[in-house]
Amino acid sequence: MISQRLVGRAVPRVEDDRFLRGRGRYLDDIELPGLLHAAIVRSSVAHGIVRGLDRGGGAGGAGSVALVLGPEEVRARAAGLVPVVWVVPGQRDVGHPLVGDRVRYVGEPVGVVVASSRYYAEDALDRLYLETDELPAVVSPEEALAPDAPLLYPDWGTNVAVEPESGDGADHTDAVFAGAGGVLRARMHMGRLAGSPMEPRGILAVPDAGTGKLTVWISTQAPHAVRDAMAAVLGLPQHLIRVIGPDVGGGFGVKDHIYEDELMVCLAALELGRPVKWVEDRRESLTVTAQARGHVQDVEVAYHPDGTLLALRTYGVRDAGANLSIFGAGPHVSLAANLPGPYRWRAVRATGPVVVTNKVPSGAYRGFGQPQAAMIRERAIDMVADQLGLDPVELRRRNMLGPDDLPFTTRTSLTYENGDYPANLARAAELMEAGPPPPADGRSRGVGFSSYVELTGVGPTSTNKVLGVRVGTYETATVRMATDSSVSVITGSSPHGQGHETSFAQLAADRLGVPLERISLIHSDTDVTPYSPYGTAASRSITVGGGALVLAAEELADKIRRIAAQLLEAAPEDVVLAEGRAVVAGTTAGVSLTEVAEQAWRGYDLPDGMTPGLVATRVLDPENLSFSYGTHACQVAVDRATGMVEVERFVVVHDCGTVVNPLIVEGQVHGGVAQGLGAVLLEEVVFSDDGQPLTATFLDYLLPTSSTMPDVQTEHSEHPSPHIPGGMKGMGEGGTIAAPAAILNAIARALPDAAARITDIPMTPSRLWELLQDTAGA
Amino acid sequence: MVERHTVAMTVNGAAHVVSVEPRTLFVDVLRHELGLTGTHVGCEQGSCGACTVVVDGLAVRSCLMLAPQADGAAVDTVEGVAAGPDTHPVQRALHELHGLQCGFCTPGIVMALVAAWNQGLEAEEAEREVLEGHLCRCTGYVNIRAAVRAAWADAL
Repeated sequence: MISQRLVGRAVPRVEDDRFLRGRGRYLDDIELPGLLHAAIVRSSVAHGIVRGLDRGGGAGGAGSVALVLGPEEVRARAAGLVPVVWVVPGQRDVGHPLVGDRVRYVGEPVGVVVASSRYYAEDALDRLYLETDELPAVVSPEEALAPDAPLLYPDWGTNVAVEPESGDGADHTDAVFAGAGGVLRARMHMGRLAGSPMEPRGILAVPDAGTGKLTVWISTQAPHAVRDAMAAVLGLPQHLIRVIGPDVGGGFGVKDHIYEDELMVCLAALELGRPVKWVEDRRESLTVTAQARGHVQDVEVAYHPDGTLLALRTYGVRDAGANLSIFGAGPHVSLAANLPGPYRWRAVRATGPVVVTNKVPSGAYRGFGQPQAAMIRERAIDMVADQLGLDPVELRRRNMLGPDDLPFTTRTSLTYENGDYPANLARAAELMEAGPPPPADGRSRGVGFSSYVELTGVGPTSTNKVLGVRVGTYETATVRMATDSSVSVITGSSPHGQGHETSFAQLAADRLGVPLERISLIHSDTDVTPYSPYGTAASRSITVGGGALVLAAEELADKIRRIAAQLLEAAPEDVVLAEGRAVVAGTTAGVSLTEVAEQAWRGYDLPDGMTPGLVATRVLDPENLSFSYGTHACQVAVDRATGMVEVERFVVVHDCGTVVNPLIVEGQVHGGVAQGLGAVLLEEVVFSDDGQPLTATFLDYLLPTSSTMPDVQTEHSEHPSPHIPGGMKGMGEGGTIAAPAAILNAIARALPDAAARITDIPMTPSRLWELLQDTAGA
Repeated sequence: MVERHTVAMTVNGAAHVVSVEPRTLFVDVLRHELGLTGTHVGCEQGSCGACTVVVDGLAVRSCLMLAPQADGAAVDTVEGVAAGPDTHPVQRALHELHGLQCGFCTPGIVMALVAAWNQGLEAEEAEREVLEGHLCRCTGYVNIRAAVRAAWADAL
């Protein structure tokens, strides 16, 4: 019997105290004796053949420059390629040299300088000059497809890195379109985004001459993936690399990568036999850290005049940047797989090239293809509603999978497990209607909706073979009770703001009957934690990592009950663990968990055949993904004179299975919505025609601020996942997935005259104002 | 040889004297000379607010301040807000209402709000004007605003 005491409660987080007092320990907070500091040599051109590094006065300047590694030295020291973990058939990019024979984006790292301080390292950078034979840059993916376009990889004979085909075949899809009474066609642009965690990336590499071991502290989401990539590129065996993640100041996907500059810092530390630290500055964060999105999609929806949605087809030109990053075709596979959303379709098909351009590579960012899928589908559905003269909520309702349709396998082979999709849509509509009437201030107002299914809990390792993911996506947890009955939980999952130390402890506390303050989480250290090659991404921590913890905690609880039962002369099934004690249910007979733990570790007088100790380890490789879902709705006010959009209200009704901690879940919703809002109204990475990044500061790349972000009214409908122990479904990305389409739909409702042309994000004030001028002119 | 400046200041009530190159950012002195790593560097452009400390009673961005400018100043950093087990009402409200996630922007927000608190600003000014100068990528600000209202209303 499990008494649910902490799961479901809004427990304030245990990690907060150190952050609020300035006692967190982020990467740049770590100081070591003899520490040296690195700065990275980067390309200043978008495309060129690397000729070498002109050292000028590079070495021997002020401040004792310890080392300069130019492109030749880095190349000579690299033992292997930077891996690509996601490879689909026909993919041309399956791994990148640490430094190649050409540079392909501004800021591409080609070397490293080490000095006694960062100031001196940057002084030294000023005295170095990377010699290149500049080549013409290809900045837009459409230009990259032109027959005479300069090629980034001449060996390929094309700038197309991969052209995945997903969902239904062309013939079937064409047939459904041919039989449709109506077809909506729209071209949708989605801007490039920068994940922009508030703590930039950083690394501290510490070689130990005595043991030959390299210890690496790094601001990462995936210490084990970092370790594996380092071993491959540095040519060290994995057991001689220890990767530790300290407190990590946000990641959002961009820290699920391993980067060439980070690997170069390790090379420098190994060369010098000294600890070397490098911390990315904001300019680097906004220009050389992996970006995301960046699409043009030609979207078509086939429908019946009666309001039945039939088919969704999209052809996208997707801007990869200079290479496919470690995630390969992953975001594109995810986009296609998630197109169906919560609706019935007779055909769903996604095609189109992933194109290399002379820009920083794109990769993982919160949502990983799902925000694009939701934007395509949900904006298109609203446009179909306009063509049919139907209410967009009603059109969604008619086509939405009902609770009795689940489990349901989509046209893209995802199997949704359970839930009540229409109930959440209806509730979101109800909440919007219940809002106060808007003030009569002359602005145009609109209400928009966006329904989604969120692919989470990646995932069953068996499907990775089909998808082309070259690592496993199981998780492992160890739960250990010490002789004083305090508990350590060891997880492969690696937090960076999500509150694992609290939510994982809540899961363990309920099963072991131990108070929260006597449980600690051990994480983010490859020497100590179980192998987790995918890391904290894809909304998989509380599902797969937490699910493994539930299994291990239950196994340990069983052992505790058996020992206690012997001490209490009772049956194990009658023993309940609560408040630090094991008691016989319905009686006052009991024993403290400390007494049980002492007995277990003393190791004698245990039940027959029982091994000493109180440790349990379990691996969870779930049989399916878990699918959260919900509906976002919002009200916007648009000033036609300026193009300014204000999001006035925002409602989220969602189901993420068991809610372990409502505070944390709602915090994730708020943050996700804010990033979705940013993508629609503010954020866009911009390059000049020759590939120079133009959004290198927070004054150019605009993040949402408090005044741009409304309060969010959140409701949960809990349908526990049947195949995740504990019933959780992931929910870290839902806000970012659904919010953009909800906001764009609301803008279109506010401006019915221009609605058919409101298909692009970000819809900045200047873009919206121009669109309104054009509409008025036409 | 590069000229060095001597900077004498009080930080969290303790006197410190450091010798720095004039170009040294004040935040680097706090973090790397004095070991006060609670103050964070988010942008070095003055736009994110993570490095906010209180200098002579005013919230300032320590990444936009050169170390010699701190000569003679009384400086408060996040480490000095609550030394004992009890935290400031602002810290308490941020904790109770989940106004922080990764925690990186948090010390700057705490310092800006504590300065506003000490200056006697109204809750609405703190919520609308002070918070507007701080970037947070995790929380969407919703719970930070709720924490400001709660702290000022003494609701906790």
